[in-house]
Amino acid sequence: MSEETKALESMIGEEYKYGFTTDVEYEDFPKGISEDIIRELSSRKEEPEWMLEFRLKSYRAWLEMEEPEWFNATYTKPDFENLLYYSAPKKRPSLDSLDDVDPNIRETYEKLGIPLEEQKMLAGVAVDAVFDSVSVFTSFKEKLAEAGVIFCSISEAIKEHPDLVKKYMGSVIPARDNFYAALNSAVFSDGSFCYIPKNTACPMELSTYFRINNMESGQFERTLIIAEEGASVSYLEGCTAPMYDENQLHAAVVELIALDHADIKYSTIQNWYSGDENGKGGIYNFVTKRGICKGNHSKISWTQLETGSAVTLKYPSVILQGDHSIGEFYSVAVTTKKQQADTGTKMIHLGKNTRSTIISKGISAGESNNSYRGEVKIGKKATGSKNYSVCDSMLIGQSCGAHTFPYISSENASSSVEHEATTSRVGEEQIFYLMQRGISEQDAISMIINGFVKDVLKELPLEFAVEANKLLDIKLEGSVG
Amino acid sequence: MVKMSTVSTKELIHAYVQLSGKLRENFNELRSQAKETLDNCPFPTKKDEEWRFTDLKSITSNKFESVDTSVAQANLELDEFHLPEAMNSRLVFIDGNFSPSHSAIEGMPDGVIVGNISDFAEHEQLLSHLGTITNYEDDVFVPLNDVNFQDGTFIYVPKETVIEQPIHILNVFTHRNNPHFVTPRVLFVGEMFSKATIIEEHIGLSDNVYLNVPVNEFRLYSGAHVHHARIQRDSKNASHISRPVAMLDAHAEYHSYTICLGSKLFRNEPRVIQNAEEVDFTVDGLVLIDGEQIADTHSIMDHRFSHGNSHQLHKVVVNDQAHSIFNGKIFVAKDAQKIDSFQENRNLLISDSGKVNTKPQLEIFADDVRCSHGATIGQLQDEEVFYLQSRGLTEQKSRELLVYAFALESVESMAVKSVEELLLKEVIAYTNRD
Repeated sequence: MSEETKALESMIGEEYKYGFTTDVEYEDFPKGISEDIIRELSSRKEEPEWMLEFRLKSYRAWLEMEEPEWFNATYTKPDFENLLYYSAPKKRPSLDSLDDVDPNIRETYEKLGIPLEEQKMLAGVAVDAVFDSVSVFTSFKEKLAEAGVIFCSISEAIKEHPDLVKKYMGSVIPARDNFYAALNSAVFSDGSFCYIPKNTACPMELSTYFRINNMESGQFERTLIIAEEGASVSYLEGCTAPMYDENQLHAAVVELIALDHADIKYSTIQNWYSGDENGKGGIYNFVTKRGICKGNHSKISWTQLETGSAVTLKYPSVILQGDHSIGEFYSVAVTTKKQQADTGTKMIHLGKNTRSTIISKGISAGESNNSYRGEVKIGKKATGSKNYSVCDSMLIGQSCGAHTFPYISSENASSSVEHEATTSRVGEEQIFYLMQRGISEQDAISMIINGFVKDVLKELPLEFAVEANKLLDIKLEGSVG
Repeated sequence: MVKMSTVSTKELIHAYVQLSGKLRENFNELRSQAKETLDNCPFPTKKDEEWRFTDLKSITSNKFESVDTSVAQANLELDEFHLPEAMNSRLVFIDGNFSPSHSAIEGMPDGVIVGNISDFAEHEQLLSHLGTITNYEDDVFVPLNDVNFQDGTFIYVPKETVIEQPIHILNVFTHRNNPHFVTPRVLFVGEMFSKATIIEEHIGLSDNVYLNVPVNEFRLYSGAHVHHARIQRDSKNASHISRPVAMLDAHAEYHSYTICLGSKLFRNEPRVIQNAEEVDFTVDGLVLIDGEQIADTHSIMDHRFSHGNSHQLHKVVVNDQAHSIFNGKIFVAKDAQKIDSFQENRNLLISDSGKVNTKPQLEIFADDVRCSHGATIGQLQDEEVFYLQSRGLTEQKSRELLVYAFALESVESMAVKSVEELLLKEVIAYTNRD
């Protein structure tokens, strides 16, 4: 193993030592969960009565539910009584210059090709005058307002746009949907709210916005995106840079609503702390993501690059309700060390002539387990619908596992479903071929892997696609060959 | 020997054992273990992952009684079901009871045993193999067969012996007024480099209600070679729950083809276990269903050692309100390298009220393997229908021809000519039903 790899591995493996100290701001808030806690939480957030009702109803539903165990992963269940359900925005460490940043982290940033000024932002260095983030941020805000796009935190939306929130929150993922969605509905901390008005193309990719104003929303994030008739938006959450968080459980809920002719593209890059070599520590990423193509000719597309977290359970889904609506799911899930990922999608075809595409690429290395679990369901009335799914797995090393659990069903005679899956490894012949062209083994492997995931990464917003490739290289460095 | 017992189906098995008071007298250990499993294992419901799509109403809404094993119908006319290739290698079971007068076993090579299990109850090979590979988890059906079977097929093929003629195992179900359950059993032991062809048939002569629970055990030692065809033509009101298992040693080859035409509820759980390096096996299936039939296949291809080839082609045609379910699992154990496994499930859904659920499943723990699966649900292509119509066929005829062609691939793999012809007739009867 090269020095470089060692450094990187220790960086990824080690507990994060810099910054993110315990926050004094919420020390007075008690741990555990109860109706009183939820009331307290809601009142601190100055929420209206109906929001509190929503939370309490969800909490009562949650109490009756059992923690699911059906997925292909084993882990210690979180102790819900020992969690803190209120967190104020995090205090970032304040450093004077990039030289103060952990050199390993800087190395990663450089490898990812993150611009210098952004590196400072991410590392929490005070930004100098040349790169005035505030002014850029403000100009973005103006641009969005001009177009009539509402983009704010969900807490703000609850106060400023109660009608929209009331109408749509919980309409795609009801509180009773599943155990973690119910918990989130009861105690969600914050998140994003996005409303694109009729016939408006969001003037900028909301991903760009995050590059500048990297929002943090705590462990129970709640996102709601509404695209009105003819509207379109591209949204990116997450970041290629490794993310550390002291909260072990992350149970987010993301709801997307697309009306007639609307188009929502939602991309995720997830690189949370994945635990050490022995599988100790690491984040549990239990997310419920679902979009509904409510209107005719609407389209929802999920793209995800999952590389972090100790345990990932995540199934971004699309309900294709409107006629001629389109659902897409592009995913790359990489697991190394003792990571466990059980991820996939659901495409529920209800409207006529609906189309869905699923492209899922799983790469398992080390002692990890990577599962694709998906459902394609074509209802009786969804005549003329089509689905095409491909899920390919690649195994690297002899101690990992790859699994596919696709559920496919059709109930009418004019629809068609095609599913194919393969499991393979980086072929010796492929490596040999590239090496005899003068390419080093490591580069050859990296090229082959990049080729394997190309179909998915090309769906990412351009500026992230390059980083994503590099992230994969870093993640898998040393595990092949 | 066994009292007639009427039981409520949910406790079908418990009640059977309890009412009959005691277990059958041979294979005591197997039966008492099975009884213990039955006492503790609940009947499956839709809440069980393995049964979530399968409607078991046709079992649970009936009361089945066990069949008196002492009466076999000697005068039943069964000539039409005889295979010309197997005139001297036929075992016939009527409602589960062995019928010596219908059976014919002649001219077998030296050392070969083809006969009724209960006639060989003390045979060393039978005792050492019976019930050793049928370990289904949370299962009531193998134990039901274990406690109840009396007659059954025992085939033993010694080392380097080839049985030229196919062995025809004919299970016939006659009309009975009361719903009853039958538990056919097959134990096949193939020694090194032996070779045999088995045709296993289930035929319902009437449209009465019964529950057919066959269990098959195929133990193939090194280099043994078996071709196994299973044809299910049970009564359209019957339920058929079958458990065929094969365990293969090095260089063994096992090719199985299951054809499902009859029964209201069909649940087949074929399993092939690779028990040593270098094996080759096939688990093909053809399902042609209509009316309110439910056909469910849950297969497992279990690669526990390196260098295995396996292939599965499961073809289904669904018409009317019929419902097809498929779950094909490919397991590759850790260090079982160089496995080449391919699974394909093709569903042709030709009616708007039919339903197809499919779940191909891969669980791979070795990196140097090639495993893939494909599943499709679709219809006849308009272009194909148009092409045939442009050649002067009516639309109806064109569609029939295309469905026929779809099913043909599975039928052509049959090693026995008369079986192939029989199946072609069945396919034509299915496609040209108007």
